Amino acid sequence: MRRRSFVQLAVLAVLVAAATTAIALLIPWLPESAGKERDRIDLVFWLATGIAIAIFAIVVSAIVFAVVKFRARPDDDSDGPPIHGQTTLEIVWTAVPTVLVTAIAVLSAIVLHDNASAGRDPLRVRVTAVQFAWSFTYLNGPAKNVTIPVLRLPLGRPVKLQIESKDVIHSFWVPELGQKQDAVPGRPQTLVITPTKPGTFPVVCTELCGLGHALMRSQAIVMRPGAFDAWAKSAGQGGATS
Amino acid sequence: MSKVTVEHEVQAAPPRLPGRGPRVLLSPWFRLVWTIPLFFGIGAGIVSLVRWLEGWHPIWQGSVQTTVALVTIPFGFLVGIGAFDYWLAYAIGQPTRPEDHSSHGARSWRDYLRVNTDHKVIGIQYIAANIFFLIAGGLLAMLFRAELAEPGMQYVSTQTFNGLVSVHAALMIFLVIVPVFAGIGNYVIPLMIGAPDMAFPRLNALSFWLLPVAGIMMLASFLVPGGAFATGWTSYAPLASHQPLGQVFFNMGVQWAGASSIMTALNFLVTIITMRAPGMTFWRMPLLVWANFTTSTLVVLATPFIAGSQFFVMFDRIMHTNFFEPDAGGYVLGYQHIFWFYSHPAVYIMMLPGFGIISEVISTFARKPIFGYRLMALSLVAILVLGFSVWAHHMFVAGMAPWLRVPMMVTSLLIAVPTGIKIFSWLATLWEGRIRFTTPMLFALGFIANFLIGGLSGVYLGSVPIDIHVSDTYFVVAHIHYVLFGGSLLTVFAGLYYWFPKMTGRMYNERLGKIHFWITIVAMNLTFFPMHWLGLQGMPRRVADYQDRFADLNLAISISSFVLGASIVLFLYNIITSWARGPKADGNPWRARSIEWQVSSPPPIFNFDEIPQVVGGPYEYGVEGARHAVFSGNGAVRLEDAEKARR
Amino acid sequence: MEAHVEAHAHAAHPPVANVSSRIDPRVLGMFLFIASETMLFGAFFTAYFFVRVVNGYPWPPKGDHLPVLVAGVNTAILVTSSFTMHWALQSIKRGHRAGLQAGLVLTLLMGLTFLLTQILEYARVGFAPHDNAFGTIFYGLTGLHGAHVFVGLTLLLFATIRAFRGHFSPQHHHGVEIPGIYWHFVDVMWIVVYTTVYLI
Ligand code: HEA
Ligand code: HEA
Ligand code: CUA
Ligand SMILES: [Cu+2]
Repeated sequence: MRRRSFVQLAVLAVLVAAATTAIALLIPWLPESAGKERDRIDLVFWLATGIAIAIFAIVVSAIVFAVVKFRARPDDDSDGPPIHGQTTLEIVWTAVPTVLVTAIAVLSAIVLHDNASAGRDPLRVRVTAVQFAWSFTYLNGPAKNVTIPVLRLPLGRPVKLQIESKDVIHSFWVPELGQKQDAVPGRPQTLVITPTKPGTFPVVCTELCGLGHALMRSQAIVMRPGAFDAWAKSAGQGGATS
Repeated sequence: MSKVTVEHEVQAAPPRLPGRGPRVLLSPWFRLVWTIPLFFGIGAGIVSLVRWLEGWHPIWQGSVQTTVALVTIPFGFLVGIGAFDYWLAYAIGQPTRPEDHSSHGARSWRDYLRVNTDHKVIGIQYIAANIFFLIAGGLLAMLFRAELAEPGMQYVSTQTFNGLVSVHAALMIFLVIVPVFAGIGNYVIPLMIGAPDMAFPRLNALSFWLLPVAGIMMLASFLVPGGAFATGWTSYAPLASHQPLGQVFFNMGVQWAGASSIMTALNFLVTIITMRAPGMTFWRMPLLVWANFTTSTLVVLATPFIAGSQFFVMFDRIMHTNFFEPDAGGYVLGYQHIFWFYSHPAVYIMMLPGFGIISEVISTFARKPIFGYRLMALSLVAILVLGFSVWAHHMFVAGMAPWLRVPMMVTSLLIAVPTGIKIFSWLATLWEGRIRFTTPMLFALGFIANFLIGGLSGVYLGSVPIDIHVSDTYFVVAHIHYVLFGGSLLTVFAGLYYWFPKMTGRMYNERLGKIHFWITIVAMNLTFFPMHWLGLQGMPRRVADYQDRFADLNLAISISSFVLGASIVLFLYNIITSWARGPKADGNPWRARSIEWQVSSPPPIFNFDEIPQVVGGPYEYGVEGARHAVFSGNGAVRLEDAEKARR
Repeated sequence: MEAHVEAHAHAAHPPVANVSSRIDPRVLGMFLFIASETMLFGAFFTAYFFVRVVNGYPWPPKGDHLPVLVAGVNTAILVTSSFTMHWALQSIKRGHRAGLQAGLVLTLLMGLTFLLTQILEYARVGFAPHDNAFGTIFYGLTGLHGAHVFVGLTLLLFATIRAFRGHFSPQHHHGVEIPGIYWHFVDVMWIVVYTTVYLI
């Protein structure tokens, strides 16, 4: 009897897991990735999703199963069996989640470490946030000392952003590049991004910074190296202003 | 040990207030006419005097005096309604006389509108006030959801929008979820542990009356120039130190609400430690009592930190101090560390009592003992301890010391373990039970599934790389509502339906309750689940306007949020009409074991004629002849009789 | 609502609560309150830590001086007042009303002296809370402590009034003991504040 219950439960769990997996895979949850760091983040995301699906399937199928199987008839006044606990089971559901979250933590720590290293020769850009606008100043490379309101980046080269704020806290984020960092007045922060796809992506301020917060947006334009160099050259000579 | 009782029966005589004026000016409430001006006058006078002495101009400055008002008027109010009468009499040395219990218990509805020392009355006062603020906070959400239905700006300015969001969250957290558990606990805990009342009934009354003060203060911020506080419920410095006047209403509102919750928590701790019935060892306490015990510990130790953080912001704002001013040596991120050192534990303050409620409901309606009772209690303690070590997971992208990230990630993720123990133990409790699908049980099951989703999204957030991507986006908003609505609020509904017969002596309408449940669950998921997608795709939180590509989904969310709002009307209709003319409930309609069910519904004014004797665990369903508590026999309700009467 | 009338038929007095712990509820309550207060100081010390340790802000900045000596004398006064407080409590435990009254009055006076000295010090110290982070933290911590002295004094004042009106006895003296515990806490807290702000 018990054995059959567990088999039925397992089948149910597999069904729920399959349905959830379908939802996870068929809906494009993540925006397209345009950066190396984002790819690594996505890796952690999918690990977490896998674990979440498993846990969700087990819990939900257990609820559904209990609801169907252990429903009391209206005239049934009896009590259930007085089971107070079961040590093996309790150990299992302490140990297994511990292992799973440790796995997430380890992968996360590795990715975090990798995502912070910019290689030996990154392009360096100072990102300045004020209420309610962004500006970007190139600190090295062909466009050195150029300041523009959009962020132009060459494809494939690691970029080290130095993020600063002149007034309150803002936050720099490009969803397609995945990385995010608050701009804190008085404490410059760094952030590494490595674009892997050309295109134009939104730069959004994600930290509430006052009445213009919703509109504090800009663009990150990832260009092929040749195009970037051409732009940088004309900008360096005072040509292009954006 | 008799000292305790002696003091209980002796109280200072009420103060003989001087003056010949009409007596009505001295009676509680009417007194407000002069106590509020008096207190404000004193405060404003002192401040003006200082300004005059220091030569600051103008001597009377509106924004400064508003702050003074927010500090002094609450005192005037509390004195006016009579919350301090006893202590004033004590302070000026009035002789003591036997307690006549005149301020205890409710004999008519008017007794709910005065300073009452009965924990049952206070519990209901709390719950009523919390439901009021739930509606207020919910209506604000309806307003900003209307604005968010389309991209672009339609009805409100961005500052007003931010104000709506901030007041929504501040009310929901500080005036709904945190205190409603204190309210439910107030009603139930003394009965559950076999105590005639809380340890400090007058302090208990004072704690309650601080709440309307705090809530009305927050709502009133909409009326001042510059509008309501608009920096989110987190109110980060340095933005918050340079905001219009409304900000102070948050700073001070939080202080009053915080003071209230510290006092209640202290009261719970003392009550649970010193007033348990004979035989009620810690390992025989119902899990709700355990949950309240751990929660109260969190409150007592953590709440002062938010008090500190709000003082600092207020000082930076009105006195131009430099706690968070980088140019003068202040440390900007200090605010976040101090704030989250309270506010992370606060999320467990908002969840642990809910866990307690669910344990009561599930074991009662599955008619089985709680699976792994001791581990359930210990996991609460584990969450309490771990809860203090994870605050910086709200600051993964804030620019704090990088080495803090990984340790904080590990502790955050580890909280999944004790929480998982609770979830799995509830499931095991259901297993082979005789499950009855009453409304509270439906809410309990709905809670498990929805809180699970919130907890799992918490694990995503706990992982630093994922959090770097989704921090401060709608993904976090989804998490918030799955844990706070799908978690805390559903447990509140479960608890309110569960104890409704006990509190009112009447049954609620089961059909309406179930309809309420289903609409809530469906609308909730339709409202909040798509937010995960919005966040991952790139929609930041706290924005009045957004990219056009998010338009369709936001419209859908807004529509289902209105349905969700409407579902509360069903709940209100059910509890109001059932209280007025629902069928009478007997003492123990659920055939539960814990002590509150062994007395009449509603319980006698002094809870018990005699203190029960606890002889076993609280959940011994199915164990032949097992008893949790017995009355010696000359008392009101005997368990055996109740049991017989039922059959 | 008739249900309440029904309930009224029960006893007109509460049953005597069971005493499930050896600690007195009021004393326990005071200890918990002190735990909470300690955390409030903790929040202020956290701010101190960030400014002084993390930010490395000069302590005191060039040109500012901390009146270590005056504050030292003040410390001595406050510490002494803890002893007079203790004496007051011991007196009433033995039934000496005069000792109780004298002890309380002395404590009260010393507390007042402390507070007044503190205010004078504020007037003369030569820097203001809005000058820089050092001033902010200095006034923050000493001000928070001053507020606690004020609360302690208020509680002691109540006890003193009652002492002179003939309340308290060797059996009933919680009204002295509990403000006393608070007063000792205020005292200990000052030693911590003095050490961290003035000495190191
Ligand atoms: C009731 C309130 C509540 C609760 C219980 C939680 C629970 C958790 N929260 Fe949440 N949180 C909030 C309320 C809450 N949170 C709020 C209000 C915010 C936003 C604040 C703001 O406005 O900025 C927030 C924000 C927030 C952040 C910051 C996001 C950001 O701003 O960038 C993080 C990051 O780590 C986080 C993590 C977690 C974790 C790990 C848990 C864990 O406790 C969850 C544990 C539970 C489970 C995991 C499910 C059950 C477990 C199992 C079935 C076992 C097996 C599971 C696994 C193996 C994974 N939360
Ligand atoms: C317990 C907590 C709680 C609860 C219950 C809710 C409930 C709701 N919340 Fe809230 N929310 C928060 C806590 C909560 N929220 C927090 C902490 C934040 C973060 C804020 C910040 O960024 O600082 C937030 C932020 C937040 C946002 C993000 C705002 C932004 O970042 O810009 C949104 C967006 O949709 C939202 C929506 C809703 C909706 C639609 C509901 C609905 O469930 C509301 C349902 C409605 C009602 C419950 C009552 C409706 C009343 C009626 C229909 C009238 C009945 C009238 C009579 C009977 C007279 N909330
Ligand atoms: Cu800048 Cu938001
Ligand atoms: Cu948290």
